[in-house]
Amino acid sequence: MSRIVVTGIGVISAIGNTVAENRTALQEGKCGITALSLFPSKYAGLMPFGEIKISTEELQKKLNATERGVTRTSLLALHAFAEAIADSQLTNDEITAFDTALIGASTVGGMCLTDELYHDANKNEGGSAYLSSYDFASVNIYLQERYKMSGIVNTINTACSSSANAIMYGARLIKSGRAKRAIVGGVDCLAKFTINGFNALHILSSDICTPFDEQRKGLNLGEGAAFLVLEREEDVIAKNVYAVVSGYCNANDSFHPSSLSDEGDGPYLSMKGALETANITVGDISFINAHGTATENNDAVESKAMIRLFDRVPPFASTKSNTGHTLGAAGAIEAVYSILNLTHQEIYPGLNCKNPIAATGLQPVKIYQKRPLQHIMSNSFGFGGNCTSLIFSTT
Amino acid sequence: MDVDINSLYDCTDNKLKVIEPGYEGIPPGILRRMGKAVRIGVGAALPLIKEAASLDGFIIGTANGGMEDCIKFLNQIIQYEEGVLTPGSFVQSTPNAIAGQLGLFTKNKGYNITHVHRGLAFENAVIDAMMLLHDHPENNYLVGAVDEISAYNYNIELLSGAYKKEPVSCKELYTIHSEGCIAGESAVTFLVNGNKTNAVAQLLGVHGLHTTDIAVVEKQLQLFIQKHLPAGEKIDLLLSGENGDNRLSKYYTSVENIINTATARFKHMTGEYATVSSFAVWLACQLFQTQDVPSHMLKTQKPQAPIKNILIYNNYKGAQHSFILLTKEN
Repeated sequence: MSRIVVTGIGVISAIGNTVAENRTALQEGKCGITALSLFPSKYAGLMPFGEIKISTEELQKKLNATERGVTRTSLLALHAFAEAIADSQLTNDEITAFDTALIGASTVGGMCLTDELYHDANKNEGGSAYLSSYDFASVNIYLQERYKMSGIVNTINTACSSSANAIMYGARLIKSGRAKRAIVGGVDCLAKFTINGFNALHILSSDICTPFDEQRKGLNLGEGAAFLVLEREEDVIAKNVYAVVSGYCNANDSFHPSSLSDEGDGPYLSMKGALETANITVGDISFINAHGTATENNDAVESKAMIRLFDRVPPFASTKSNTGHTLGAAGAIEAVYSILNLTHQEIYPGLNCKNPIAATGLQPVKIYQKRPLQHIMSNSFGFGGNCTSLIFSTT
Repeated sequence: MDVDINSLYDCTDNKLKVIEPGYEGIPPGILRRMGKAVRIGVGAALPLIKEAASLDGFIIGTANGGMEDCIKFLNQIIQYEEGVLTPGSFVQSTPNAIAGQLGLFTKNKGYNITHVHRGLAFENAVIDAMMLLHDHPENNYLVGAVDEISAYNYNIELLSGAYKKEPVSCKELYTIHSEGCIAGESAVTFLVNGNKTNAVAQLLGVHGLHTTDIAVVEKQLQLFIQKHLPAGEKIDLLLSGENGDNRLSKYYTSVENIINTATARFKHMTGEYATVSSFAVWLACQLFQTQDVPSHMLKTQKPQAPIKNILIYNNYKGAQHSFILLTKEN
């Protein structure tokens, strides 16, 4: 069975508009979580967010994306998608081929347009330009139409693990022979819908988040997008190969609609299953890009699940202290970061953890370091008990 | 659920709503908190879950999930100017709440995913299940699709021209020749595995495509038939997603001309929604069992017995098309 490799990556987040900018920011331990300056919300002065400081109009202009009804979500996706396909040097024939799949994830879709959606859902005349842009699929349908793609196109929404599942699904499509290559990723932008939803659940922090700290107060929402180009190793000739998608597993915690079980069965099973598909053992994992949202529940449970699975928990950290929690984009953004770990054989510091969680004593990596890395695990856990772990390996 | 497909219910205000079951087995406190999409999804799944000896996961397709709760929450955000809100509607509205709730109910820690690709959400869920069963034919998965009519998405779709503006009866759906269809909703679930012995039906192939070009649909259909219909076999019945929208009839006519066999329609029973093809698959399973097509469904002559191979063609808003080929041996 041919291995599935990554030949292109693209990312935009609160710490940078490109892969190179994101890497520099990660090396420097830059935090992109700040006061809102573009997105209008009552919470603008009350809590910080991982906002991308480019207005929707600027994005439209920069990307030459002036089609009617295009949302900020679609624009962020387009930004990362364009970088990934250029990086992989995909030809137009390859992009439009019947065997090129597009698998994207989003949990917000066009719902970032709160006022327009409120109007269109409640008033019986004067529909806005966005009537077909609210759903989750609108993002990938926009990309598919813009690039005239004709292979399998799919959108996945498993809350905060959405784009990890998109990556897994793309890899499986290739393995099954349903696609020769797959462009996979995810996107979400800031929206009143998610800000107020997470606020109502009392899991937003009024300060910059502190993953895996004993005194953590909750998460910060962020926005961003990332895409990866996946191909069969045997098809890749004369182009850069970043990493192998070696392991993946989707499992359910089946405990509560919006929190994880004390024992962390879902996280434990997804991490364990990913090791099994990669055919490696616990001792082989060099680093874990943790889900690490900095909520009371997630970090305690994720820590416990890591201790349960690993004899010695490998070095780990959460990049959500850099970007905020980008929801449906998080799995893909963190996959790109994991690939950067491997490509440059370096670990980026997790920010803001002063005191480790007393019950576990686990400390995230706090300083930048160069070290040999072979297998990186990336965790994504979401509402509905949806847990997915991925493993990327050196070639 | 026992449904008599010979009798027809007419729509009210151009909407065909689900007839909800009694939801035995769901504690009333939990039932009350469920949004409609979660409720009907769980309601459709529970009887199958009881039948299943074991389950290895849940695969759900839904374009919108709990739309009613979603907009209810959004309306609160606007009306209370981002004030103090309760999270119930937010949690119920996420599309993965259906599969999540099923996992929770059954304490099932296996594969759990939600596909939301609009008019191909169910088809993608089916492809997912086919890939899993190819690797693990002994496993059992619950595959399904759910979409609800809410006041809000009805409004959005009406503004976009998806529904007829004049009140219609389901009986005249195919003869009015105006733009739009009537609204519908359903929750449909299937128990699938890799063993065709005693199966209600066998899935031979599923294919989705995005195009507005009839020539592409025709070419893809021919390739699909060549690839998936066993040599020497014929399609006994075409289940057509024709929906009375005069902007889409050219696609259905074109597919009928290529397949050229007995044709039956179902959107007068269901209305239009993104995951309606899941109902068509359920209907095909019924027809395999009864070996008879109710006359209200027939567009042509009755199919010749036996009904062995059924092709479903559905078209969502002229841009998303799917072919699903099912067979029933003996």
